[in-house]
Amino acid sequence: MRSRQAAIAIRLILIVAGLGVAGFLYAFPLYWLIATSLKSKAELYQSITLFPRHPTLQPYYSVLFERGFWVLLKNSVLVCAATVLVTLAVGLVITYPITRLTVPPSLRVGVLNWALSLRFLPPVAVVVPYFAIVRTLQIYNQPIALIGIYSLFNLPFAIWMLKGFLAEIPLELEEAALVDGANRWTSFRRVLLPLAGPGLMAAATIVFTFAWSEFLFALILTATPNSQTFPVGVQGLVTQFEIIWNDMAAAGVIAMTVPLLLMVIGRRYMVAGLTFGVIREK
Amino acid sequence: MKNRLTRRDFVIQAAITGASFSSLPAILAACGTGTATPSSKPSKLVVAAVQGNEDGPLKKVVGNYKSQTGIEVQVVEFPYADLFTKLVTTFQANDSSFDLCMMDDPWMPKFGTMGALQPLDSNFGFTRDSDIPTVVYDVGTWPPPHGPVPPSEQGKSPHLYGITIVGNVEMFMYRSDKSAAPASWDEVLSNAAKYNAASFYGYVIRGKATNPVSSDSLPILWSFGGNIFDDTWKVQLDSSDSITAVDFLTRKLKKYAEPGPENTDAADRSRLMAIGQAYQSTVWPGEITGIVEDPSVSQVKGKVAYIPIPQGPSGKGLGMMGNWLLGIPKGSKNGAAAADFIKWMLKTDNMRNYVAQGGIPIRNSILNDASLASANPYFKALAASFAAVPNWRPRTDQWGAVETSYGTAMNAAVAGQLTPQAAMQKAASEIRTVMKNAGYPS
Amino acid sequence: MSHLVAELPVPTGTQPGRTGRGGRSRQERLAYRILLPALGTVFLIVTIPFVIAIWQSITSDDGTLIGLRNYTRALGNPLFFDALRATGLYASIVLPTEILLGLAFALFVHRTVKQAGLRATLYVLAVLPLVVPPVAVGVVARLIYAPGYGVLNYVLQSVGITHSEIQWLGVPALAMGSVASVDIWQWTPFVYLVLFAGLQTVPRESIEAAQVDGATWWTQFRYIELHYLRPLFLLILFFRVADVLRVFDHVYILTGGGPGTATQLLSLYIYRIEFRFFDGGQAAALAVMVLVSISILYSLVTRALPLERA
Repeated sequence: MRSRQAAIAIRLILIVAGLGVAGFLYAFPLYWLIATSLKSKAELYQSITLFPRHPTLQPYYSVLFERGFWVLLKNSVLVCAATVLVTLAVGLVITYPITRLTVPPSLRVGVLNWALSLRFLPPVAVVVPYFAIVRTLQIYNQPIALIGIYSLFNLPFAIWMLKGFLAEIPLELEEAALVDGANRWTSFRRVLLPLAGPGLMAAATIVFTFAWSEFLFALILTATPNSQTFPVGVQGLVTQFEIIWNDMAAAGVIAMTVPLLLMVIGRRYMVAGLTFGVIREK
Repeated sequence: MKNRLTRRDFVIQAAITGASFSSLPAILAACGTGTATPSSKPSKLVVAAVQGNEDGPLKKVVGNYKSQTGIEVQVVEFPYADLFTKLVTTFQANDSSFDLCMMDDPWMPKFGTMGALQPLDSNFGFTRDSDIPTVVYDVGTWPPPHGPVPPSEQGKSPHLYGITIVGNVEMFMYRSDKSAAPASWDEVLSNAAKYNAASFYGYVIRGKATNPVSSDSLPILWSFGGNIFDDTWKVQLDSSDSITAVDFLTRKLKKYAEPGPENTDAADRSRLMAIGQAYQSTVWPGEITGIVEDPSVSQVKGKVAYIPIPQGPSGKGLGMMGNWLLGIPKGSKNGAAAADFIKWMLKTDNMRNYVAQGGIPIRNSILNDASLASANPYFKALAASFAAVPNWRPRTDQWGAVETSYGTAMNAAVAGQLTPQAAMQKAASEIRTVMKNAGYPS
Repeated sequence: MSHLVAELPVPTGTQPGRTGRGGRSRQERLAYRILLPALGTVFLIVTIPFVIAIWQSITSDDGTLIGLRNYTRALGNPLFFDALRATGLYASIVLPTEILLGLAFALFVHRTVKQAGLRATLYVLAVLPLVVPPVAVGVVARLIYAPGYGVLNYVLQSVGITHSEIQWLGVPALAMGSVASVDIWQWTPFVYLVLFAGLQTVPRESIEAAQVDGATWWTQFRYIELHYLRPLFLLILFFRVADVLRVFDHVYILTGGGPGTATQLLSLYIYRIEFRFFDGGQAAALAVMVLVSISILYSLVTRALPLERA
């Protein structure tokens, strides 16, 4: 009896210790990013402390205004918003017929399979020829170059998410409108779109988040604050010649704040989006 | 409509080029006194710059330019490793985003071979100023006026494509509160042994792979009589002099070096110096103003002295050029205005102001000005380094690949993964292949 | 907050046929009229780069055909195989670790945490790393591992575990571990979420029956739950392998592929060939090879995926 109790106690301790370690590993990196972002430049030259000695918001000011990164934030918002619009529009055009109209199942499966395959397109293999296209079209260092490629890469997510949402709306609602004399376009606009609103919102959030994080294309296709997005700016602070870890950390915090805020809305759909609808909220 | 516009632009361009050619003698006669090509003034010039201590002073003086001329100069920064990529990609895209670009001098061969820059002498009337060291103009000239010339570039007429705005020459720093200046690398080694202590490193190696370790080791290599290429592009890295030099750095000096030298870069090195944990190292002027002599972070201000690279067994101490130049990309639509800005930067008064903001000057009159010496303790050493004519890195458009091979092998040697001999043989054979594929004599 | 479940396709082959009241052929024609332009455009946009890549890979800079020379050069470069090896190593560290850790957490939470509120909190905590931009994660990792100012060495030394600086990014094995750890931090929660949702689909009756029979937690997992999770493992593997092939951001920031070429994954390698060495032909050859192998891989495994395609 004693030994059994001891065994249980040991197991409990092990579990608690394991959870403690996991929690620490999970949270510490984030804490350290924030802590570093609150340190002054002078503090970086003193020995490391786990807490900022004199917390200051100076690094944030420095990043956003002295370095002018607010312009990059603006670019990011513009590029991501445009990407969302293009992706959702194209996504709706593709998903509407396969979910709302009678089509052969093979067509439906074919379209969805094809969209899924786009998810496996490795960006670095696409960036080589895409750069040649951008050069030819003379859209280098223009937001449009990013919007185009981001829309393409986010389309699979949008198609699969919208397909899920549209399929859930009963066909009868639209048909009722059709019977009342509305044409397809009106019933799409008046009946389907409002009902699909939450789904569109969810897809928009996810696409925005993914586009926000993109770095490789932005690194290659932009040159000046005319089109540079925020992640490019963040990367630019990782330098070997200067000690600006506080600014670097502050930029990192800003970069992750936006998607985290969006997750307040989109968190319920995040996993569904990432798994193409396999994991759903019930 | 669009097509017609382009054609018209082309005609205008041709006309301007023709005009500038025909007026070339007049410009040369004027000796760069006036502005060369008149043009409509843009409201803004965009500079691609390297992020760090090198472009800090530039960012501080562009405000003056705006108040004097009304032209805003926007400085767009990139980390060192990305700037080269960014410049080449904008050149490939013939993009007009940048009116000016900062270039590290080893990039000149690539840009020169690509034909990516507008010639400053023939297009904008730049001439040599006797107050500025000859080597500064030479390093901005393509093809290079001395040393081996790549086969594809032989016979091209040389033009000036870049003007130095950061007069970097690699030098040497040591704690002058502890000892006198080392005259030779042997003394560097004996001092390293003597002053090495717990948390105080006798010598700091900047050993991070590729560019950093390459910069750190080349002055030693040269001072020991080694080299990457000889005058006919034959690889010399596996010569006995070269291997002796590498052995000196990666075995003898490493004994007294900081932990993990294979990962140390410039900022780490200067930081160790600034917080009083290091005795000596090589140094670039940018680190001096930005870190070691910066009162807000340094604990050793006034205790560090700067000298040209010490002598090696070859009897020479050879510093290395690391000039940052300003050039004008072919794609820029504001060439004349950009040239005006470079001329403005070069004016003595403006350069003095630039120095006051932490800039590294190239005018001898400023480097030797006694009134500036105390605030800028390295000026004397820099003037001496320029006068001794520092080496530049091999002028080949293959430098990127060469530096990668050399800097990766050196890094492995610093880390102790390869012996000096094995590292240099590896680098030599890789570089021979690269050069052969690029059409160099083998 | 309700709970997550895995929605696996019904195994029967028949699709719930939708027979619209309007003429089937008219609807079908409308469907094609809407679909074809959109699909055609997207198809073109996807295909053009591929064609360009092939064209770039068989021509030199001035446009003359040079056959397969770029391919032999790409395949003759030992660094290419270093990159493949590094990518393989990265995958073989990251995938098993993430799956095992994720599974352990999913089982643990499934068995011990019953309060809906706590589960919801864990859900939010698990989603959080997924949305942090990899660039920001790379920055965090630099603050932890970088020589000189990395906090990890400071923590280890002040706790007394080590007495000198460990070069996390300087030793090839440690550098690989460091970049892998970033991936593990960011993506283990994803595995957790998927598997946790999968566990919710296990019918309560079979578990209860097993418990009556005195099944231990292991037999319960081995003979019941694993059965339900199997398709999800496949799904996770599929998505994660695709992601490993595109990993770029955090490695670029943390090590840049170093030391030497120890962490130069395939994506960084292609980037380096194209945008450091500006060898467009070789880069295009690499891009074509990657695209072709991915397509083959994709068509081989896609049918096995538990995706609802109806």
